[in-house]
Amino acid sequence: MKFFKALVSGAIRSIKAYKGVIIIWFVYLLFVSMLTIPLKGSLKAGFGSSMITELLKNGINIEVFSDLEVHLESMTSYLSSGILFLLFLTILMNAFLGGGLFNSLKGGDTNLTVSEFFRSSARYFWSFLVVTVLVSLMMIFLGIFIIGIPFGIAFGGSNSPGTSSFPILFIGIIIYLIVLLSLLLVADYARAWLVTREKLSCFKALGFGFSRTFGFYLSSFPMMLILVVIIMLFAWLSMRLIGLWIPATGAGALLLFIVSQVLFFGKLLLKAWRYGSVSALMEMHPLKPAKEEEG
Amino acid sequence: MKRTGKLCIVLAFVTVAVHAQIINPEPLSQRLTDYILDVRLNTESKTVSGSMEAFWVNFTSEEVPDVRLHMYMNAFRNRNSTFYRESGGSPGSRAIDRGWIDIISFTDREGNDLLPEAKYISPDDGNPDDSTVLQVILPEPVKPGDTVFINVEFETKLPSSIRRTGYTDDFYFVAQWFPKFGVYEPAGMRERTESGWNCHQFHRNSEFYANHSVYDVKITVPEDYVVGSGGMFLNETVADAEGNKTLTIRAEDIVDFAWTAWPGYSVYTDKWNHVNITLLLPEVRKDQVERQFVAVKNALEYLTENVGPFPWPHLTFVDPPTIGSGAGGMEYTTLFTSASANRMPECLHMPEMVTVHEFGHSYFMGILATNEFEEPWMDEGINSFWEARIMDHYWGENSGLIDHPLLKVPDKSYSRLSYVRSDNRQLASNDEYSWNYPRGTYGMMSYHKATTWLYTLMGIVGEETINEIFKEYYKRWAFRHPCTSDFIEVVNDIVIKIHGDKFGPDMNWFFDQVLYGTGICDYKVNSFRNIELRDDEVNNSGKDSLNLTAESDSTEKTPGDEELQYRSIVQVERAGEVMLPVDILVHFENGNEVTETWDGLARYMDYTYEGKGKVEWVKIDPEYKLRMDVNFINNSLTADPDRVPVRNIMNKLMSAIEFCLSCITL
Repeated sequence: MKFFKALVSGAIRSIKAYKGVIIIWFVYLLFVSMLTIPLKGSLKAGFGSSMITELLKNGINIEVFSDLEVHLESMTSYLSSGILFLLFLTILMNAFLGGGLFNSLKGGDTNLTVSEFFRSSARYFWSFLVVTVLVSLMMIFLGIFIIGIPFGIAFGGSNSPGTSSFPILFIGIIIYLIVLLSLLLVADYARAWLVTREKLSCFKALGFGFSRTFGFYLSSFPMMLILVVIIMLFAWLSMRLIGLWIPATGAGALLLFIVSQVLFFGKLLLKAWRYGSVSALMEMHPLKPAKEEEG
Repeated sequence: MKRTGKLCIVLAFVTVAVHAQIINPEPLSQRLTDYILDVRLNTESKTVSGSMEAFWVNFTSEEVPDVRLHMYMNAFRNRNSTFYRESGGSPGSRAIDRGWIDIISFTDREGNDLLPEAKYISPDDGNPDDSTVLQVILPEPVKPGDTVFINVEFETKLPSSIRRTGYTDDFYFVAQWFPKFGVYEPAGMRERTESGWNCHQFHRNSEFYANHSVYDVKITVPEDYVVGSGGMFLNETVADAEGNKTLTIRAEDIVDFAWTAWPGYSVYTDKWNHVNITLLLPEVRKDQVERQFVAVKNALEYLTENVGPFPWPHLTFVDPPTIGSGAGGMEYTTLFTSASANRMPECLHMPEMVTVHEFGHSYFMGILATNEFEEPWMDEGINSFWEARIMDHYWGENSGLIDHPLLKVPDKSYSRLSYVRSDNRQLASNDEYSWNYPRGTYGMMSYHKATTWLYTLMGIVGEETINEIFKEYYKRWAFRHPCTSDFIEVVNDIVIKIHGDKFGPDMNWFFDQVLYGTGICDYKVNSFRNIELRDDEVNNSGKDSLNLTAESDSTEKTPGDEELQYRSIVQVERAGEVMLPVDILVHFENGNEVTETWDGLARYMDYTYEGKGKVEWVKIDPEYKLRMDVNFINNSLTADPDRVPVRNIMNKLMSAIEFCLSCITL
């Protein structure tokens, strides 16, 4: 089973590429801190020297937050626009640092220095950005077509005797998840292919991504399924742990911060595992441009 | 149409007495009105047509020259009706969308035609395009003790797109559908200075005020339709060879009769003590049957225990399908509608909340038949207060509405926030007719402000006293028509009985501010400071020039003690207009605490303490009993604020954003 070998190889590659993962983690931390540190300051100012925070010990209390009045309004506005801005920034950052990461994950080139990491990040930035944007748009439009429209049509007749729109929604979601995983494979193959090329062509890379995904679907899809299930499970368990952990002291809060960042680093490492595994699987087959393969 | 003398009234009560044996051995109410309806649902024309025999007993000591009837369905006749003027909507462009009620014939008992003497009036706003109140001038005034009998042939066209009533496809919710008597109020009743009919037009936000009546109803519908109603089903017969059936139904002592019909209903039954409960809902929501029954049984238990018994042996409620969701959340005493959605998560208690709320109206408006038009707070406000208490009692004090590990929301918080966070919270008092509330404030004022100040009242007098108040309110006013002053009178009597003059000779000062007033309540701790005393100052300690010097164990000076002595000054402020008694908890660094009780009248108050301990923190209203307080954050002040909860929340937010962004990006 080639995909098992690819998974093992991907795991080794991702561990070796830890420097790149640390850089990505640090940039994430920096970006998110840009949003949350002012927010924390605003929250502290809002509560002032009140003891109301004792009602927040067990988590969010909507009455307490609501009594922040103008502070809450400004925080909500700042948070909503900040998150949009952060999303935009993260997409750019991912496209940028993704080049370095994919480059450090390719076979035989595992001891990439930090300067080489950034050099390759800069080299592949535009191509990665185009691939990311195009695949993301495909995901959005297919989501609308596969889930949104059928469910919307079925919902009108909901509750008539014997019919229900929910089976349609359920089937739609299953189909969409399959499509989503396939598109992830396309994006990963395309980016893994790009870092092996001298001449950059994002559309050729996408073509290669599609051809590889569906040409080796039986090995690629199960591998991606396993990876995504593990990553999502890890993310869910991490969020669950972080969400339910209620430290009572300042030291506990610091520990929560450290643990949450370690868990997030783990999440990024798993993502690197995904990239590495796809790169390894690609290298297990003769590496040719999409056009040649199709020919 | 009318008879002089005692014969008719005797006949009327004989009729009532004969019927009365069917459900309750003794009439629960005076039964001044009675309706016998025989109608047919036409699913093609979307009409309900048939006949009505009804009577009204003049139980007053004066002659009455006319009768007035609600013709609610005419609110949907044209866009100029008062209902649409207030709501800003329209009945729809197609004729099939509109609703109306037409009188085909209107006669008295002898067959005399009364239609020439009938005219539509608009007692509330003079709107000439509104035809929701019909006045019929009687040939002769009804003498005291006489009874007015009427026979009416009518046709009701149901409106589309359910607005409390109407149809969507083959779903029907038939409410406010027949000519219904108003309430004749003699002078003195509900603080009236002059006798007269209380029969308001159909307004956007209110529709309930009627006498408790007996309803004998025959409904003919296609045989595949499942019917639910506010009465007891007596029998079902084949109506004709065209596939119709006739259902015979009886209801007693309720203020309105509504029914629903839909082929897609599944019917579930359960029982709580003497009450047979029927639930109608789409089969797709069968997974919610259990939670719906739990909700209604909890409400039955709580209100029976803390207010009074539910006297009927039957209760029907409906969870309408999505196509009929406009019918959700309405109340007709022994029939009410819940509101839900398919596969509603267990952590969201919205279906339970609506069920508890609408059932609560069986008491607050049904049994205690207040006037929703004129005093909506007594209907929606009191009911929302009990809804919140029931939800938080059975589903968790902090999770009555939402019970998720990451977010818990009590029902009482929803009400408080709806009021205290509203920009319009001071535009009007609770003493307004429903249609006189400034635009956009009706719900906030009549539901949420009233709930919040009832909670505040409970915070002041205590939970047991509040329960005693409502038990007495039920005892005095069940199956009658109480008004605001009647409720206040009960409050005054019970508070005096339990607490003596602790709160003054009466509680009018409370209602004057929260019910009749528009002020806000906001108590805050302004500041505290600790001043180290020199030896000579210590010797002079005692009452100083400030308002009060409180002494406690913590402030006693021990002879020969060399520890530092402090003078601590705590300043609290009344930032709002509402003045309520409030507790102040002062905590010293040596662990001692002093509780002060402030009458809350002055704009501010300084408390001075002298002793070995410095003040560490101060809380005003430490248990957050005054839920009208618009800001709980300024209720406390500490020298050492606890930042850990804020750090925890921000850490979690940070992680959530990181994980989400990482998952979204490819």
